[in-house]
Amino acid sequence: MAVLEIKNLHVSIEDKEILKGVNLKMQTGEIHAIMGPNGTGKSTLSAAIMGHPSYEVTEGEVLLDGENVLELEVDERARAGLFLAVQYPSEIAGITNAEFMRAAINSRRDEDNKMGVMDFINKLDEKMALLDMSEEMAERYLNEGFSGGEKKRNEILQLLMIEPTFAILDEIDSGLDIDALQVVSKGVNEMRGENFGSLIITHYQRLLNYITPDVVHIMMDGRVVKTGGAELAHKLEAEGYKGLMEELGIEYKEEEHE
Amino acid sequence: MVTKEKQYVDYADALTAFSTGLGEPEWMLQLRLEALNSIEKLELPIIERLRYNRWPLFQVPNLTGAPAAKSVDITQFIQDKADAARVVQTGNETVIETLPESLKEKGVIFTDIQTALKDHSELVKEAYMQIAVKPQKNQITAFHAAFMNSGLFLYVPKNVVVEEPLEAIFIQNSLVEDSFIKHVLVYADVNSSFDYVERFFTAGQEKNAANILVEVVAKQGAQVKFSAVDQLGENTTTYFNRAGHTFRDASIDWAIGVMNNGSTIADLDTNLMGDGSSSDLKAVAISSGKQTQVIDSNVVSYGKSTTGNIYQHGVILDRATLTFNGIGHIIKGAKGSDAQQESRVLMLSDKARGDANPILLIDENEVTAGHAASVGRVDPEEMYYLMSRGIEKSEAERLVIRGFLGSVISAIPLKSIRDELVETIERKLTSR
Repeated sequence: MAVLEIKNLHVSIEDKEILKGVNLKMQTGEIHAIMGPNGTGKSTLSAAIMGHPSYEVTEGEVLLDGENVLELEVDERARAGLFLAVQYPSEIAGITNAEFMRAAINSRRDEDNKMGVMDFINKLDEKMALLDMSEEMAERYLNEGFSGGEKKRNEILQLLMIEPTFAILDEIDSGLDIDALQVVSKGVNEMRGENFGSLIITHYQRLLNYITPDVVHIMMDGRVVKTGGAELAHKLEAEGYKGLMEELGIEYKEEEHE
Repeated sequence: MVTKEKQYVDYADALTAFSTGLGEPEWMLQLRLEALNSIEKLELPIIERLRYNRWPLFQVPNLTGAPAAKSVDITQFIQDKADAARVVQTGNETVIETLPESLKEKGVIFTDIQTALKDHSELVKEAYMQIAVKPQKNQITAFHAAFMNSGLFLYVPKNVVVEEPLEAIFIQNSLVEDSFIKHVLVYADVNSSFDYVERFFTAGQEKNAANILVEVVAKQGAQVKFSAVDQLGENTTTYFNRAGHTFRDASIDWAIGVMNNGSTIADLDTNLMGDGSSSDLKAVAISSGKQTQVIDSNVVSYGKSTTGNIYQHGVILDRATLTFNGIGHIIKGAKGSDAQQESRVLMLSDKARGDANPILLIDENEVTAGHAASVGRVDPEEMYYLMSRGIEKSEAERLVIRGFLGSVISAIPLKSIRDELVETIERKLTSR
């Protein structure tokens, strides 16, 4: 069992403090959801955990099995077991999707234990079929010219290929139609098990109809303000953030999205 | 200007003896002598953003006709044996010449320039410095015409389609001191279609000049796919001119890897003369160390409804300089023509110098044209994305760069040469 623990995390962008002391603990076998209004720091949290260069951590720790990953480079964090699926991944011409994924898998393996081409292709075919992706997607350049839905499927494909310990999904559901949402959920549910944990960031509750979370956290104004079970998401759906804010006695105005 | 102990015209006797010794036809000797007389009167070609009048480009070659004192071991450069059409030359000598019977029967000629001058004098005369480049174009071409000391002739007859690429390998012999004045004449007759691939290397460390002129003449409806990987040595100062000329509905597509190790000017000129003709030019380059490479791509539309694309991507390391000039020119009367270009330079060092210089010259109204140019660094977002999947920084950078240079790689028809180009790129990147 692996544990991911976020302790008193403060993060700034260009000297503006976005996260003001986030605390969260999860372990493999669990799926956690983070919900919250726009502009509340959900995406900042995921980017800071992964190590995006624009985000500055000013205080706190992110511990993966006791090791502070904030001291690691981005690639080292990934190889330690973290994975982040994003809404708007980079498009990189000239590198095929397949070539990229094989490089990612092999970056985790020793020189004499690299994944062979056949094993790779077999696994890729299987995962692409699961996600209803056409075979030609493997030979296209990485995310180049992909539609929004294709990019998100491709993020989930990478998740299935790389098999990380903890995956953070950052608003992977936004802009997806119901069919695509089901496919993406199918991918995540495929990974579900005692050796995998996931932190799903979402603005809406509807993704959680397909992936039932074990724990739901509500974030507002740079902090986790409430934690509960799956029922918390339903309550939120029914009452909205406004109702929750009143209950918690928080005054909060929804900002435009970052 | 040029430092020299004697005037070029003083070489007339030596040049006559050289030409006669090779058994060249009279017209060739006259072409040489006329060019020789004009060198002094002509100017250097203007290359935007480059002063090169001190470059040692005007090295008169050995005209004795004697073989080089040291010969090149080709196994350093070529490991495989090709069954397909292949010519290999080391210095001025031709060491391998293979042409399948089936192509000979169709009338394809693929041989060194001296043999072609003996056996196909009239055919060579039709195109040799007559159509794509004239000797008097500038000082360098005149010098070339006068002192050309080896080369290749490829002729594909009317309506002949060659499926397998024709391959040429030129290894400059810098084990000895001598000028490398190579001429390649590719003559595509009406409606012919083929792939031609050439590679340039240097053996040895002598400081030599290279003056290389490649002419591609595409007659009506001919389709030529031309690819090249240039890897001349660090002690070679090179002027490369690859010049294309298209007749009606013909096309010449270029894919060129400018991977030399020394100072280089690569002039890539295509004149779209015939209506409906086209050229797609893709060039990639890496400059490293202290070298300067300038790629000057020039596509000129004379015919109506012609299409000219220039696409140049390059990477600079260390203290090197890399300049892309892209010149798209539509002449008055070339109605319905289209000139597009993209030049991008990726800087991998603070001390490198990069330039992407787009020039559109439009003298006609009813045309379309566009350009994009940039000089920049590896996108940190792309690096972050790749690294967030566990790929190490150095590997991520290599992937981004290979992707950036990938368009030319994929346009090369022979896998072995694609692989070699990838290897060359990787080697240059890891030598940092």
